[in-house]
Amino acid sequence: MDPHPIVLTVDDDLRRNRLTVFFRLLLAIPHFLWLFVWSLVMFFAAILHWFVALVAGRPAGGLHRFMCSYLRYQVHLTAYLTLAGNPYPGFLGEEGEYPVDVELPAEPQRQPRLTILFRLLLAVPALLLSSAFAGTGGAQFQYGRGVNARASGGGTIAFACAFLGWFASLVQGRMPKGLRDAALYGIGYSAQTGAYLLLVTDRYPNSDPTALLGGIERPPVHPVRIVGEPHDLRRSRLTVFFRLLLALPHLVWVSLWGVAVVLVSIPNWFVALFGGRPARPLHRFAARWVRYRLHVGSFLYLVANPFPGFAGAEGSYPLDLELPDERRQDRWRTAFRILLAIPALIVDAALGWALLVASVLTWFYALVRGSAPWGLRNLSAYALRYDAQTYAYLLLVTDAYPHASPLEGAEAELPPDHEPALHPLA
Amino acid sequence: MRAAPAAALAAVWALAAWWLWRTSVPGSLHLPHLDEHRFFSASQLHAAASFSRFGELTWAGGSLCQLAVLAVYARYGARFSRESAAGPIGTGMLLGMLGFALVWLAELPFGVADLWWQRRHHVSYVGYVDFLFGDWLALAAQFLFLCLALAIVMGLARLVGRWWWLPAAPLFVGVALLFAFVTPWLLPTHRLDDPSLRAAAVRLEAKEGVSRTPVVVQDVRDVTSLPNAEAAGLGPSRRIVLFDTLLDGRFTEPELRVVVAHEAGHVARGHIWKSVGWYALFAFPGTFLLALAVRRRGGMGEAAAIPLALLVLVVLGLLALPFQNAISRHMEAEADWRALVTTRDPAAAVGLFRRFVPTTLDDPNPSTLDYVLFENHPTLLQRIAMAKAYERYAAGAAQSP
Repeated sequence: MDPHPIVLTVDDDLRRNRLTVFFRLLLAIPHFLWLFVWSLVMFFAAILHWFVALVAGRPAGGLHRFMCSYLRYQVHLTAYLTLAGNPYPGFLGEEGEYPVDVELPAEPQRQPRLTILFRLLLAVPALLLSSAFAGTGGAQFQYGRGVNARASGGGTIAFACAFLGWFASLVQGRMPKGLRDAALYGIGYSAQTGAYLLLVTDRYPNSDPTALLGGIERPPVHPVRIVGEPHDLRRSRLTVFFRLLLALPHLVWVSLWGVAVVLVSIPNWFVALFGGRPARPLHRFAARWVRYRLHVGSFLYLVANPFPGFAGAEGSYPLDLELPDERRQDRWRTAFRILLAIPALIVDAALGWALLVASVLTWFYALVRGSAPWGLRNLSAYALRYDAQTYAYLLLVTDAYPHASPLEGAEAELPPDHEPALHPLA
Repeated sequence: MRAAPAAALAAVWALAAWWLWRTSVPGSLHLPHLDEHRFFSASQLHAAASFSRFGELTWAGGSLCQLAVLAVYARYGARFSRESAAGPIGTGMLLGMLGFALVWLAELPFGVADLWWQRRHHVSYVGYVDFLFGDWLALAAQFLFLCLALAIVMGLARLVGRWWWLPAAPLFVGVALLFAFVTPWLLPTHRLDDPSLRAAAVRLEAKEGVSRTPVVVQDVRDVTSLPNAEAAGLGPSRRIVLFDTLLDGRFTEPELRVVVAHEAGHVARGHIWKSVGWYALFAFPGTFLLALAVRRRGGMGEAAAIPLALLVLVVLGLLALPFQNAISRHMEAEADWRALVTTRDPAAAVGLFRRFVPTTLDDPNPSTLDYVLFENHPTLLQRIAMAKAYERYAAGAAQSP
């Protein structure tokens, strides 16, 4: 498959200026005003753009460049607001002026008229997903009521990353890589969505995190990581159709088991605090639950096909979880584990929203095609992996903090026809 | 040699059935033959017959569809084992849920048709969207119960082999008892406001020896216009539940007293206990037949047997339906009799049963097939006949020295 024509380029060293971070929202006020004016103009320009493209079969060059500038400006501003970039962005969306930038086709491309005609309709799934990521973009604006949509809950991941990144940057003078990468992922996907909707390209947005962040350095491997067979995208239509009902016994069981795990975690916390490492049986009990939770999530959210077992046994499911043994853990981290886990739980909740949207879209796709789309599958796997890392951390299975980067988790999850240069996501 | 234990078991079964069948309705009571036209107008009879006919058709269509779907599923359903990464029991649960889901889906059009018919006759006020999407909680509960049942059966089958049905049947009876016990607490009810009916209920319950059985009201008028009442619960949970549709002014107070007395009769005669008893009597042979039927598929311990087991269960259920209805009619007739004895108001009973025809569109004198398959109460004409018979019975008792 050809690489997507809309590519996110990142030249960021994670360093942040504390003063500009502290006042970031205030500093961005001129940009908000400018964005509002530009967006008004864009609304009418986009309609004209659509008519021209529909008649000619290709967008007009001037309008195309105008759309590109607008999209690029969106990327710069969103990166600045979400702390994915440090410097103050320019107002014209010029190429190469900002460390977080986007490559867009220089010239308009010929596109099938039918897809131009129904572009708005076709973009709806991508817009839904985009709203869960960054929640900005010309895409939403073109609706006319996009402002409402944006205000109603879009951009949860970007918002969560910006919110947490703000505190971290103020303290450390650096943006945590995981949060930065997650924000970049949302920005990249929103840029692709906007480009699709504004006829900059007819290539549908690709939600595969590894493809979107292909040029970014990957973080170290986390002790809690997803392993197994990712390439089996086949989905049984019948079990997909009834997936929620079929998952019910698992949801009940995972809840009941969860109550037991919480109760067990209390003595385990004391053991880990005073002994320096969790008790082996309690650790195994919690680890099994975390793995079982992943199995259930994979089934429920259509990340994997088969009905899982009820025991959370290692190697029993195509999408499995590698978990560490009971190792010595830092006592300070153990003592304040619940407090420390709060940021991770916030990111986890934000990713949960994206996971939900992705699973609904996958549901429709799988019913029609009998398979799961690779991009959505990988997005969902990323969300599930983070969830597993969060609960493993919270339940003292590991003291390694969850890593929010979509790139974590390494090897071999490329489809047979995938670009070999891209980093895989487990 | 094996015939002796079987005969002994059959004798025990028959003895238990005889004990449960006993009734307080006098054996000498003779129900007079009545002409339905004496009590109901031609238009009422026509409306009731027409309404019932459609219901029978949708039931027949739904049942045939259910059987067809399950037959196909019994043949090919085991293939879905490959969609499972769970062990045999988990896979069995998956296959059971899939079969159940397919049946639910196949029956949905018939349910919608039935709803359309009921809405057309102003019997139901449930919207189509509510019907399709509003009751997911109940559907989810059914799925969970199915999973629990399969886990019990398959677990026992894997544990004790082909004799699994011996411990399974009492287990299911226990579950039925539990349901019977907790059901009243799951119903959203409130106190009966009408003081005179409340006072009447206290008197009637005292006469039946079931004092302090609460009479409560369930609000259903948003979903149906059908008047109904039921006795529910066991021991401390027992109560008499009146639908608020009974209390909307369509029925007179003497008629409502008959309703309360009828339900008190159920409580006094231990009909819920007896229902559980009958369930137990059917559970043993039922589970035995199920075990027998799936033996060629490896028994209930194997997931591949589940699709066939579902079909067998439904067939057994259909076959048992006439017997269940007969037992239910028998107990309802006894409750009617108790109501006549405690209220001593056969005229009110006749008035109540006559009013049921325009309000419930129940056919007062259905065909034999309808009677056998659908009627779990005596027909309205039979109930009126019992009231008439009581009049003569009471008169005879008063004249005797």
